[in-house]
Amino acid sequence: MRAAPLALVHLTTGFATAPVAALLIVVLGLIVLLCVVGVGLLLLRPALGAVRGLADLERTRLSWLGEELVGPGELPRGLRAAVADPALRREVAWLLPHATLGLALPGIALQLAVYAFQYATAPGWWRLVPAGTVSLDLGGFSFFTVDDWAGVWTMSLFGALCAVAVVLLAPIMAWLQVWPGRRLLGPPPGTDLSLRVAELTATRAAALDAHATELRRIERSLHDGSQNRLVAVTVLLGAARRALARDPAVADELLERAQGAAELALSELREVVRSVLPPVLTDRGLAGALSGLAADSAVACRVEVDVAGRLAASVEATAYFVVAEALTNAARHSGAGQVEVSVRRRGDRLRVRVRDDGHGGAGEDSGSGLAGIRRRVEALDGTMTLTSPPGGPTTVDVELLCGS
Amino acid sequence: MRIVIAEDDALLREGLALLLRAEGLDVVATATDGEGLLAAVGEHAPDVAVIDVRMPPTHTDEGIRAAVTARQRQSGLAVLVLSAYVEQAFATELLASGSAGLGYLLKERVGRVAEFLEALHRVAGGGTAIDPEVVAQLLTRARPDAGLERISPREREVLELMAQGLGNTAIAQRLVVSEGAVHKHVRSIFAKLDLAPTDAVDRRVAAVLRHLDEGARRRP
Repeated sequence: MRAAPLALVHLTTGFATAPVAALLIVVLGLIVLLCVVGVGLLLLRPALGAVRGLADLERTRLSWLGEELVGPGELPRGLRAAVADPALRREVAWLLPHATLGLALPGIALQLAVYAFQYATAPGWWRLVPAGTVSLDLGGFSFFTVDDWAGVWTMSLFGALCAVAVVLLAPIMAWLQVWPGRRLLGPPPGTDLSLRVAELTATRAAALDAHATELRRIERSLHDGSQNRLVAVTVLLGAARRALARDPAVADELLERAQGAAELALSELREVVRSVLPPVLTDRGLAGALSGLAADSAVACRVEVDVAGRLAASVEATAYFVVAEALTNAARHSGAGQVEVSVRRRGDRLRVRVRDDGHGGAGEDSGSGLAGIRRRVEALDGTMTLTSPPGGPTTVDVELLCGS
Repeated sequence: MRIVIAEDDALLREGLALLLRAEGLDVVATATDGEGLLAAVGEHAPDVAVIDVRMPPTHTDEGIRAAVTARQRQSGLAVLVLSAYVEQAFATELLASGSAGLGYLLKERVGRVAEFLEALHRVAGGGTAIDPEVVAQLLTRARPDAGLERISPREREVLELMAQGLGNTAIAQRLVVSEGAVHKHVRSIFAKLDLAPTDAVDRRVAAVLRHLDEGARRRP
């Protein structure tokens, strides 16, 4: 039963755009005629733009009411390119079925609904109107005139039948009405998938690339850091053992150096572990970890986290990385006195914003760590926007898919 | 013995110099990269260069390339390459120009000072010192061929020590057997591997390594 009201919403909203479609058909026809004399060519591009606009409106309506329809984006500027746009051709083809079905189907549904209400309630009002004027009309034909209770109840029964018809037919009509849009306004078969595949391939490659870069970074820091320290420890220990017999004082000094090297190895190891998956995330969650970052920040930092529950580890780690990098960046380059961090979850998206009141002018190519943020974010299919006009402020906006 | 050290990690470089000087060896110069090493070798004409494989700028195989170049410039320069991990390609590249006066050891061997010094002296004397790990890897990676499979566990032990560059006397000491027994094992190994027996130590190593290397290269 709930399908009927929704179907009525479908039909009425469609009813609003259908006349525009009809109008556009007329306008396009006129312009094509004008093209023969040349003037039409000037008007064609704006008219086609209007077609794309209406189609986008319909896409929004269909997405709102059901499955999401992804549009082809903006119409190319040039007339030739616009005409060649395959999506536009499908949109023009969509105008006629939408103008006709979009007007006719809601009209029929509305008429049925009016009949249902009017006739079903007849027992209540038929005495109030002058006798002989009450009749059962259907599509302009008068079937019979009502002048006694038997007739009124028949009329009422008919009204109830109309109501049943509305309930049963409205969903079918609604489906019929959106059908041309679903068929013609979706991405053309083939091309959309190849685009999506290209996009996925690119992000996947970026993910693998980011992964490899990350592994290389870890390998490098392990090799150049901890491993070398430990080798130094063994070298110093070996030397100490040899020195033990000869000169215990030298041996002691060597042992102390060895201990220092071992401690260095430990602290470097801790640093590497922290950079891979900060243990603080596991212990205290994203909010706790971020306020820890803020406390350690060289610039005064206010953190606002509005995230209920836990997110996927990769998402939390990336959000943490983004904030950590952006804070480091702000402290190093921006000359800011205050940084504001906000992390919010809206639906299946996590929005991270880091804004500083520094002098702006930050770029992604100046070795600022912002390129690293972008790589890591895009590896998770997220987006990163950098706004940093000269004079500031600098804002890093990151949106991540929560993946749950 | 005059030594030049090339190692980019400061702590390790100083540790090495400290150790060698404490042993009465003459560390004449230290360098932090390949360029520095070549300059130091050119200036001091040392007997041995102790070289780290990974050094700036690319942190890949600078040490190996510097070693090869240094040996071209100063023929007879003994080179002991230290590496953080075993890379067969490095060993192969190093040994391509002959194994005399060449060593390839894992870094942590330096901590076993007596063995490290022994290897250093062996290399300086024109011998060879190959890390047991490298040899083990070459042996396990080598495609099991009929010859290697016919070798007994004891003979395999002898072969591994041989491949590290040890002479019969040293092998006998390590395995606590008589020199005569080692000699017998070696002859048996040569017979099983179809190698002509020879007494020259480094030629023996070269032969063994070449054989193992061929086995490794034949891998798909």
